[in-house]
Amino acid sequence: MQLQYFLLLAAALFCIGIYGLITSRSAVRVLMSIELLLNAVNLNLMAFSNYLDSTMIKGQVFTVFVITVAAAEAAVGLAIVLAIYRNRDTVDMEQFNLLKW
Amino acid sequence: MAQFLLETVWLVPCYALIGGLLALPWSPGIIRRTGPRPAGYVNLVMTFLAVLHSALALIYIWNQPARELFIPWLSTAGLNLTIEIEISSVSIGAMLVICSLNFLAQIYAIGYMEMDWGWGRFYSLLGLFEAGLCALALCNNLFFSYAILEFLTLGTYLLVGLWFSQPLVVTGARDAFLTKRIGDLFLLMGVLAIFPLTGTWNYTEIAEWATTAKVDPTLITLVGLGLIAGPMGKCAQFPLHLWLDEAMEGPIPSTILRNSVVVASGAWVLIKLQPIFSLSPLVSTVMVGIGVLTAVGGSLIAIAQIDIKRCLSYSVSTYMGLVFIAVGTQQDEAALLLVLTHALSAALLVMSTGTVIWNSITQNVTQLGGLWSRRPISGIAYITGTLGLIGFPPLGSFWALLKLADGLWATKPWLVGIIITVNALTAFSLTREFCLIFGGKAKQMSERSPEVGWQMVLPMVILFAFNLHLPLVLQTMSLLPSWAELNKDIALLLIWSSVFGCSLSGIIYLSNIPKPIRLPIPALQNLFAYDFYTPKLYRMSVVLSVDLISKLADILDRFVVDGIVNLVGLASIGGGEGLKYSTNGQTQFYAFTVLLGVGMLGMAVTWQYWGDQFLSLIF
Repeated sequence: MQLQYFLLLAAALFCIGIYGLITSRSAVRVLMSIELLLNAVNLNLMAFSNYLDSTMIKGQVFTVFVITVAAAEAAVGLAIVLAIYRNRDTVDMEQFNLLKW
Repeated sequence: MAQFLLETVWLVPCYALIGGLLALPWSPGIIRRTGPRPAGYVNLVMTFLAVLHSALALIYIWNQPARELFIPWLSTAGLNLTIEIEISSVSIGAMLVICSLNFLAQIYAIGYMEMDWGWGRFYSLLGLFEAGLCALALCNNLFFSYAILEFLTLGTYLLVGLWFSQPLVVTGARDAFLTKRIGDLFLLMGVLAIFPLTGTWNYTEIAEWATTAKVDPTLITLVGLGLIAGPMGKCAQFPLHLWLDEAMEGPIPSTILRNSVVVASGAWVLIKLQPIFSLSPLVSTVMVGIGVLTAVGGSLIAIAQIDIKRCLSYSVSTYMGLVFIAVGTQQDEAALLLVLTHALSAALLVMSTGTVIWNSITQNVTQLGGLWSRRPISGIAYITGTLGLIGFPPLGSFWALLKLADGLWATKPWLVGIIITVNALTAFSLTREFCLIFGGKAKQMSERSPEVGWQMVLPMVILFAFNLHLPLVLQTMSLLPSWAELNKDIALLLIWSSVFGCSLSGIIYLSNIPKPIRLPIPALQNLFAYDFYTPKLYRMSVVLSVDLISKLADILDRFVVDGIVNLVGLASIGGGEGLKYSTNGQTQFYAFTVLLGVGMLGMAVTWQYWGDQFLSLIF
């Protein structure tokens, strides 16, 4: 097991998240993709913490914070999605293009 | 006293200029209540002063050497422009002729312009002309002569355009200005090109330079051609002659001045520049060629005209052509004498025909006739003017033509033939006009034609007397050749040509041959009557090309130059209009752009660590 594999896996997960983020039509799936991105970051943090800083493990502390903030963000995100849904009766991202040129 | 009068002779142009300025307040817009007549009287007084001054000065300067006055005008880096005034019997004599003719023309105008409100403008322009011509006569500097000629060109424009509500006047004034301007601009080229050669613009010094000059023949030929172009336009020579025909739209009193002296202003400069022209045989040939062409063409055209004033204007071109011939063959004295005799006779002819026009209304000779019994004074004046203009002893032009022909007899006999032909043709045309106006039966337009008032008859009679006395005056000044050394062959030829022209014309127009006369070839008659179709010629050549080029330039300016600049603006607008669609309202698209930007930036920053390996991997 080497650090690179963890990093590659995290990067792959990040790319999948990106793909989901910019292609999903459902707003909830966009939030889910953001979670994937955050988890890819967490994987990075954990891997670095394990291989490079195994005594002080600051990366793990960062990860705990990221998970916390991600939870809060998901909550707010879902609230925003609900707020939009109440007005427009849809969560289709392609319907939310009112603020253009 | 004599000294004082000679020292202050430069005041003569100033009198006229002051007179011109003083006339202006009586323009209808300024003094609204009293009418314009004082403008004329004031001008008359000032001109009389000028006549008096120049006459007294002429008496004192006679048989004395010429002297010069220098008035510094401008001195800048390396260039000293000094107004050089030549006080000689010739220049003061010329001034006296100019002022006297203007004085007579102004008295004439008091009668002629009786029913006109524009005296302020008219008399101030006459004053301007007199001032300009006097200054030209005094001026001994090519540069200032050029400046004065340009003033006179502007003056011609304004004076021909006096009655600007008439459309033909407007086009005539336009042509007079532009045609003369073109000549003047070529003259300017010559004036500018001659300075590096001679280092001076003083006529006397130029003449001295020319005696020993060694210059490139091509160069001096080009300079000479430039210098004759100015007088060519001024003297209404071929091909710059149409303006004089169209300038006949102006009032007659100004025509008196124009026909007699204004066109001679070009000849004056030409005579003064003669030393330069004699340096290049080609220039002399060109001058003689132009002179011959204009003299023969002008006299033929004059025969075919039906407008009184235009008959006379082509005779003016003809005689200025003879002056060109004289200067082209280095006969300055004959040229000066011809200018003098022509001025007096032409002025008398215009005055006489002007009186006819004034109360017969029409200018068409075919509608006039039978005035001799009722208009004897005008008729006699016309006859005297005619005989004074053609070679008829003992009147003036005979001696001038004789002198010219005598000088040519030994070197260029064919030119003598031209002069005699032109003399006969002019005799024919002037007699034709006389017979049509004064001879025959009265036509409808001339049924009742009283003689005009004294204001017009008096100057005519005075000028008539001048014309008669001219030979006596010339003789007392010993300007005429003595009988012994007279070339009697040429004299006889001249007299015979005059008699032949006059009598042939008299026979044709006083006999019962049906009028109007038709030539066997109508096309030829029309060719002369329409002045060789010169207006069409202008329109087809110079006017057309300038018009086309200016239209092209306009199109180029409008579409190409403006277009390029407008294209920049349009491209900016188009860019904005097109690029705003990048803000498409899709949050995911923004996220994609952000990521793309970050990715590109990351690639650019880290390129140096992996870029080359990446490239070698691909290629």
